[in-house]
Amino acid sequence: MKDFKNLSIIKITDYRSNTMAVEALKIIREGEEDGRKLLEEAKASVANILNEAEQEVKRLKEKAREDEKSIASEISAKYVQEGKNEAAAIMKTADTEVEKLKAAAESNLEGAVNVALERILGVR
Amino acid sequence: MGAKEIVEKIKSEANEEKEKVIREAKESAKKELEGAIKEIEVQKRRFVEAEERKCSEEKKRIVRAARQKARKLRWMAEEEMIEKTLDATLKRIKSVKSEGFKGNSYPNILGGLIKDSTISIAAGSSAGVDVEVILSEEDASASYIDKAMLKNLTDEISNDSGVNVRLSLSDERMKSAGGVIVRRKDGEIEVNNTVEQRMARLSTSLREEIMKTLFTGT
Repeated sequence: MKDFKNLSIIKITDYRSNTMAVEALKIIREGEEDGRKLLEEAKASVANILNEAEQEVKRLKEKAREDEKSIASEISAKYVQEGKNEAAAIMKTADTEVEKLKAAAESNLEGAVNVALERILGVR
Repeated sequence: MGAKEIVEKIKSEANEEKEKVIREAKESAKKELEGAIKEIEVQKRRFVEAEERKCSEEKKRIVRAARQKARKLRWMAEEEMIEKTLDATLKRIKSVKSEGFKGNSYPNILGGLIKDSTISIAAGSSAGVDVEVILSEEDASASYIDKAMLKNLTDEISNDSGVNVRLSLSDERMKSAGGVIVRRKDGEIEVNNTVEQRMARLSTSLREEIMKTLFTGT
């Protein structure tokens, strides 16, 4: 019985020590939980960032496809207009040439009739 | 190390990890985007080049069509003037009958055509040949060819060809603005030297000569 008092003191000390360890473990677990949450958040952010990038790429490709239509019609309109301009110039030159040709032919008509008569009548 | 320090360490490491993975994700997203933009630009450049090639062909087609149309316009003007010349030529036959042509009277011109036709028929014949001359109603009525002229022609052709030719005027009439049809009496050989037939027969070379005179004046 002489050591009984001392034993009680030891038990109380152990109890306090155990309670503190449990408390510490609890805090650590909570900390770990917070850490896990942070990593979960990070994973979600990553998924979000990659998804946004993927959507942006999709949007850019879609826009490029849309742009192709207007680019095609712009290029076509440009070349068709150039072609029409050249064609108009060709026809203008042709009209002038034809007018000159007819005028020349009219002034040489009598001579051409004589040539034809020579051949047809066998007079040369 | 106390619990609080351990927790701080855990949180700090977790934060670092979080920042790291987010930074890497951002980097990866940036790369993906840059790659896509590059690819889109390359594709756009190729598309523009292909469209330019295609539309350039369309432009060439438009210009080719215009050149063809211009050539047709010129050709049509030439044809119009050639036809006008041939029409005027046929109309001039009437004045040739009354006024002659280049110092030759119309009977003389007919005589020349008869001679050429008869020589063609007589060619290759050793025996005598009976040939008749067919005129239009108008030319027969005007008596451009009379018996005396036929006699002269007969002598001339016989001398020139060495074949004994006998020419006569047929009662048959043909429809023509002028000229003659000369036929062997047995009907085996006929030379059509009406102005219309000569015009058709000489068509190609005649048109060339007309064109030359019309458009170059030579």
